[in-house]
Amino acid sequence: MRLAGKVAIISGGSRGMGAFEAELFVNEGAKVVVGDVREDEGRVLAEKIGRDAVFVRLDVTSEEDWAAAVKEAVDRYGKLDILVNNAGVSARGSIEETTGADWDRVMDINAKGVFLGTKAAIPEMRKAGGGSIINISSQLGLVGMNESSPQYQASKGAVRIFTKSAAVQCASEGIRVNSVHPGPIVTPMTEARRSDAAVQQVMVSRIPLGRYGESEDVAYGVLYLASDESSFVTGSELVIDGGWTAQ
Amino acid sequence: MAQIPSRPPRLEGKVAIVTGAGSSGEGVGNGKAASILFSREGAKVLLVDFQEDRARETLQLIQEEGGVASTLQGDMTNIEDCQRMADTAMERYGRVDILDNNVGISQRGTVVEVSEEDWDKVMTVNLKTIVLASKATIPHMIASGGGGAIINISSIAGLRAHSSTPYSASKAGVIGLTFSMAADHAADNIRVNAIAPGLVYTPMVAPRMNDDLRQYRTDAAPLKTEGTGWDVGYAALFLASEEARWITGICLPVDAGLTAIHPGTFTPMNQQTRY
Repeated sequence: MRLAGKVAIISGGSRGMGAFEAELFVNEGAKVVVGDVREDEGRVLAEKIGRDAVFVRLDVTSEEDWAAAVKEAVDRYGKLDILVNNAGVSARGSIEETTGADWDRVMDINAKGVFLGTKAAIPEMRKAGGGSIINISSQLGLVGMNESSPQYQASKGAVRIFTKSAAVQCASEGIRVNSVHPGPIVTPMTEARRSDAAVQQVMVSRIPLGRYGESEDVAYGVLYLASDESSFVTGSELVIDGGWTAQ
Repeated sequence: MAQIPSRPPRLEGKVAIVTGAGSSGEGVGNGKAASILFSREGAKVLLVDFQEDRARETLQLIQEEGGVASTLQGDMTNIEDCQRMADTAMERYGRVDILDNNVGISQRGTVVEVSEEDWDKVMTVNLKTIVLASKATIPHMIASGGGGAIINISSIAGLRAHSSTPYSASKAGVIGLTFSMAADHAADNIRVNAIAPGLVYTPMVAPRMNDDLRQYRTDAAPLKTEGTGWDVGYAALFLASEEARWITGICLPVDAGLTAIHPGTFTPMNQQTRY
């Protein structure tokens, strides 16, 4: 029970990696607030998990929604210890194809959403005497890739360095902040991109461990960072990508 | 919906070799901590040390908790000893899954100051031992089936200058070696990862410490807490386990944020505090 007695908020928790983490965290003794704009799936998940999970509508670009999510954690479960900033959207297109609005949308959700979540969580984590914030960046927040969009990559790079800024600013309160950098994961978000079997085959052949990632691969890394086992780890980048960027 | 497996011990059925498994003084170093944690999570552990009585101390702690382990004397700078180590793990426990390359020494001096002999020694002990131990162990990991996990203990000194040039160079080498080994052996499902401990208080550094220096090191990093061998041990446990099954070729700093931040006014080790 590596998260015994802890209370967590997971954004983008209705499906994919966030949903896996919600169940994993509860399995490890935590209470979880599942936040997402996908309300039907989120409610079904929370219902399935039981009384140790609750769903709230959470649009990560909304300060009001964040305040409500934090309030739910505190009112229902007594405090807040862990925040997983997992909500994110992807995008396609070259620099020249991308409009200002395209850029803003992805930056708002993927980068500003992480900032707003962190800001909302700090006061309660301060009261709890510390906490752990895990920001889901990407392999593509470390390196450039032609097949990805500039705003997705920029947003994930923002998450990477915001994490370090937050780590130094929050350290004196015992709040740790780390980023996770997954490679390509089989989730609903990447479904469209994976539809071309020939492209898939080429991608997979380049990954040292020979496969795409699963939500489980990322979730256990998030668990390590959420738990007290990593209490001396902050400001770090945990790359979970089958060895792709080691080459 | 996701199928969350129930929680068996994280290293159940696994066999681990830990080099430098004993501590050089009172307290718990990285190797001792990793050995105990591996054992707690179900692994059988071969505790290898240049001085076997140090490994026996670790063994006693493991046995007190009901774990299965044994000791072996070995000089990891010697390929025959490394071969004997890998063979012994196979003979005693029937397989090898995990290798924690934890042998290391410190060495001071700028490139002008350091002698050739001292340079060669630190490169051999800190970097070449990983090559020799892995060279001997990898074939047994492959023969065991089920892949493997190699953990190489580097240091934040391999990422930044730390007034300890030969040590830094050797630890940077460990990180680069880790990337290459990860690429080389992924096809056999052998994952290779490095940990970069920060200013952790362990028996190895203790002799150089007084209370002021200990506080200085504790205050140097953002969290301002004192790191221990356990912090490194838990990172090794995570990377050794199947939970990290898609993680290879990484360097994970366990350093209270020291390498994540601008050094600011922190002076990286003055004359008194250098390695």
